[in-house]
Amino acid sequence: MTAMTPSGDFKTTYRADTTIFPTVTSRNFAIVGIVLLLLCPTFMDRYWLSILIQIGYLSIAALGLNILVGFTGQISIGHAAFFGFGAFASAWFSNSFGVPVFFAVPLAGLLTTAVGMIFGLPAARLKGLYLAIATLAAQFIIEDFLARAEWFTGGVAGTMAEPFSIFGFVFNTDTRYFYVVLAYMVVMYVLATNLMRSRDGRALVAVRDHYLSAEMMGINLTKYRTMSFGISSFYAGIGGALYAHYLQFVSVESVTILFSIQFLGMIIIGGLGSIMGSLMGTVFMVMLPEMMTTITQALSGSSIDLALGLQDNIAFLREMAIGLVIILFLIFEPDGLAHRWKQIKAYWKLYPFSH
Amino acid sequence: MKLKLVLAASAAAVALSTPALAQEIPVGHLADYSGATSDIGVPFGQGVADAVAYLNSQGGVNGKKIDMDTVDYGYQVPRAVSQYKKWSGGDKVAAIQGWGTADTEALITFVARDEIPYFSGSYAGALTDPNGKGERSTKAAPYNFFYGPSYSDALRAMLMWAAEDWKAKGGQGAPKYVHMGANHPYPNAPKEAGEELAKELGFEVLPAVQFALTPGDYTAQCLTLKDSGANYAYLGNTAGSNISVLKACDTVGADVQFLGNVWGMGEDAMKAVGSAADGVVFPVRTGAVWGDEAPGMQTVQAISQSSSQPQDYRSVHYITGICSAYYMAEAMAWADQNGGVTGPNIKEGMYQKKDWVPAGLEGVCLPSTWTAEDHRGTTTVNLYRARVNGPTEGAVAELMSSDAMNLEKVTTIDVPRKPEWLGW
Repeated sequence: MTAMTPSGDFKTTYRADTTIFPTVTSRNFAIVGIVLLLLCPTFMDRYWLSILIQIGYLSIAALGLNILVGFTGQISIGHAAFFGFGAFASAWFSNSFGVPVFFAVPLAGLLTTAVGMIFGLPAARLKGLYLAIATLAAQFIIEDFLARAEWFTGGVAGTMAEPFSIFGFVFNTDTRYFYVVLAYMVVMYVLATNLMRSRDGRALVAVRDHYLSAEMMGINLTKYRTMSFGISSFYAGIGGALYAHYLQFVSVESVTILFSIQFLGMIIIGGLGSIMGSLMGTVFMVMLPEMMTTITQALSGSSIDLALGLQDNIAFLREMAIGLVIILFLIFEPDGLAHRWKQIKAYWKLYPFSH
Repeated sequence: MKLKLVLAASAAAVALSTPALAQEIPVGHLADYSGATSDIGVPFGQGVADAVAYLNSQGGVNGKKIDMDTVDYGYQVPRAVSQYKKWSGGDKVAAIQGWGTADTEALITFVARDEIPYFSGSYAGALTDPNGKGERSTKAAPYNFFYGPSYSDALRAMLMWAAEDWKAKGGQGAPKYVHMGANHPYPNAPKEAGEELAKELGFEVLPAVQFALTPGDYTAQCLTLKDSGANYAYLGNTAGSNISVLKACDTVGADVQFLGNVWGMGEDAMKAVGSAADGVVFPVRTGAVWGDEAPGMQTVQAISQSSSQPQDYRSVHYITGICSAYYMAEAMAWADQNGGVTGPNIKEGMYQKKDWVPAGLEGVCLPSTWTAEDHRGTTTVNLYRARVNGPTEGAVAELMSSDAMNLEKVTTIDVPRKPEWLGW
């Protein structure tokens, strides 16, 4: 491996072609990035830490959806339901059976996988809009189940979740929990990256690109479509479980279809079929409302506010602005943030001879 | 020489500014200005905010200003919980003025652990048992307070009234009672308590009718109600969705005496519903409504006038918000003189007086007593009847003064403080 990519470099092995880090520099950058993140709690206040934690668990779930939508070419508008299921499952394992939270999180992921595979079965037969409606059904069935199954979720009143702990050490502050989420994020992202370099990962992409050709090449469509739903649910379940033990309270109110659409928004803005795009889209979607809050707060009481007589409506202004920004984004950046990032990198790499 | 002067000046500046900083009491304020219950969340939240601003303009709590951070959480529990986490870490708030049942109940354990007194807009019975010793209470809520009768006690009072009303009207046989509301912690809170007392009082209890917290078309629910032959129906939701129900039931022609909960009816709702709201009985939490004569109404007027958003009429919810803020402020004043404004001291401050009415609000806030064993501040329930005598076009202030609408006092019911009803 070299420090920089030499010009005229043609790969001669598959091994070289599928490497995660093409150069030593890119690998070092990734390591430095993680080390910097590890140092974050030392200089960041609670507010920023909570935002980073939020980005952490949401980006794990968003990555799951990207595997399903971006890599396998399926569609799901019920992702939030699986996210919520994972959250409740983890709380249930630790509350009802005394399972330490450290183990409850992966267990919740596995249980959500099972549920996801069940709801993924229609995917073997349905395509396009029909599949979208089938997943819509999953959203409503699971949401209603969560609202009524008092033994599992505490019903509409919701349920408490224990703080994350291992061998008596409790991760009950944001500073500590940040490391839990970061560890999970690194593991889950590396897993997904590696999945996409494997035979199974290539099969998923083949299903997306042309399902008929894929089938003729010997790829079992039913198996891979269901598997993709399973993997996606696993990621959603893990993300949800991390969310549950962060807030330490789970309520069915949060897992609405709107939240599912938000997940779709994250991966579309970030870039379909891009691992890094899942993360970038999540950062965008989490930061956008926060920035809008800051702007609306600055606006409230100002001359613009008085001139337009906004008063209480300023809260709604925020919601509208978020919608507007997303639309503008889709018009001017349809390939997602990941694509833009690649272009920026290419620009600097080739500077000043980009043509 | 110059340097010394500068140093001395800056030292003096620091010395002057430090106590000024320490003289602020941080308070969190969770309000619903944009969510499912915003129709009543706005007047209540404004009442709290205006009262605190007014108190500050009058010198604050023993000279200390209340630094209140108002946050609109859109009636979403997760947002409330994450906001709470911000308030409870680092610079911890001394107290919180909260709102909904779902979020308040979710935070019971947190506020108890962090020792932050929590004054909610939710009056769920589950918040009234500080030690968790009540027969039916689910858990201890040592740091939860609210001003007013609990949802359960208010419903009990209305059922007691309904039983008498049925006899007075010469009704034959057992009257039929039905609980109506969303499947949500807030309407659910008094459901079992009401149904159980209704049975004891000789009502026939019908299966509950569900309708969402948001306005919608509830014709189907009203047809069910009509077919069931219910005589008394409890509306568990807030005014917004109750408006839809009352209108739909009027259209369908269901002849039912509606019983609103404390948040289910008010002047704004009466205006919105029009003639269909005529006759609805509901509890009013204050001793006086806007326009009534009471010593404390002067303070209420002054608070309203000093508001950043002046209005010429204030609903029952606004006045209740003022009471909620004043009880908190007086408890803080006691805490300040007895070891500092900390959570545990404010909690102690709430226990100091019997039949307590905050200074300046005589005749407005009902005498309340909180003890270390019982957080049912008051069990006295004033029942009012909404009266709509004509078309409801125009501003609420005009409608109320022209007698197109008015609030008619029905009766006052003292719900017995039964130990088995604690926390339920």
